[in-house]
Amino acid sequence: MNCEEIRDDLEAYVFGDLGADRARVVADHLESCPTCGAAYERTRSLIGDLKELGESFAPLERYEVPSAAPRRSPALWGWRLTAAVALIFAGLSVAALAVPAIAQQLPVPVARKLDRLESENERLASEVASLTIELRSIGGEEVPVVQDPETDVPADEALAVQNLAMSFVRAQYAGDLEALRDMGTERLRADLAAHPDDYLRAQGAEVVFAQMTDVALTEDGTYLLFVRLMDSAEWSESQYQENFEIRRVDGRWLVDFMGMDA
Amino acid sequence: MDEIELVERARNGDERSFALLVRLHERSLFATAYAIMRSEWDAADAVQDALAEAYAKIGALRNAVAFKAWLTRILVNRCYAVLRKRKHDVLTADPPEPEAYTHLGREEGLDLMRAVRSLDLEHREVIALRYFRDMKLTEIAEVLDCPLGTVKSRINRALGRLGSALGSNPFVEVAE
Ligand SMILES: [Zn+2]
Repeated sequence: MNCEEIRDDLEAYVFGDLGADRARVVADHLESCPTCGAAYERTRSLIGDLKELGESFAPLERYEVPSAAPRRSPALWGWRLTAAVALIFAGLSVAALAVPAIAQQLPVPVARKLDRLESENERLASEVASLTIELRSIGGEEVPVVQDPETDVPADEALAVQNLAMSFVRAQYAGDLEALRDMGTERLRADLAAHPDDYLRAQGAEVVFAQMTDVALTEDGTYLLFVRLMDSAEWSESQYQENFEIRRVDGRWLVDFMGMDA
Repeated sequence: MDEIELVERARNGDERSFALLVRLHERSLFATAYAIMRSEWDAADAVQDALAEAYAKIGALRNAVAFKAWLTRILVNRCYAVLRKRKHDVLTADPPEPEAYTHLGREEGLDLMRAVRSLDLEHREVIALRYFRDMKLTEIAEVLDCPLGTVKSRINRALGRLGSALGSNPFVEVAE
């Protein structure tokens, strides 16, 4: 097998759709040929960057705020995230949660939004500029946390809330309904019993905590948290989001609501 | 629940499932349209139109497994319909603020997107379909209605040109 033929197959080899036999031939050659090895590294890096690029543009806030009451979680509309944080999560957030009409779930024609965006743009730009993301150690993992400068939740409480959300997600991927029940309020338990499938995720898939928000606190004492996730299961190769409402009941932190865009 | 199940539900009129499909695909659809159209505003319009068309027609989609390729074809056709009306395929400067989409990735990503947008149409479209839409060579050949070998050689050529354009990431161009 000569180098030119190997180079011709590098792309498919990196992408992962070369047949197993052929892939073995390429792998063997790369071991023994530094020139092709270097070409492989460059190809792999470039393709990795391109794949990342494909998921890196998210729609700005382009959804009408619905007038209809949400189906499952009235508190969702009261989330007091700053505009900047909401903007970061706009691609996956509030609009999809509970809007009944499909017209409100599709992106609104951009042109109609132009005027309003123009007036808001300056304010949003300054808020985005002041937005910081820091790595925080949560549940043994380093998780990027979008900081909310206006949050009034003490750091230890925020960490407890974030830890609980992380444990909850891990139990979802482990298929551990018992553990989920144990982490929930009466309200969550009832919903879990009625719709267990809404809580279960791809069993055994590897889960990545891509981003979390700071914790916000509503006037009725509910702690709010967005968690952005990726997993190794096929259908969610892009990030998705879980929205948590967490309450403190008799000294224990419990999940009162979890919604995945619905 | 996997994507096929979502497609099946959406096909039977479940709006929530369709909305979730939109969430799963909107980012890569936009990146694809942006690469092909080169204008952010045109790209946002194309995605908007493609999603509306997909919503209207999903009931008629026979094979749920083909959803990704089907949706991609709708988008690509929308892009080409607009491009055909243009006299020249020129790379224009980025539009003024405000933007329809925001870039959340690393800053180097914008340089890479600029390099992709500077490619010929036949090269930037295969890059977008392959890496943004994550499509197999056979699917791309079908969407673009051209031979498999052509898709393969265009991808290799496009990677070579991107590598040269980026300088820091030189990719030895593969002979045809
Ligand atoms: Zn070699």
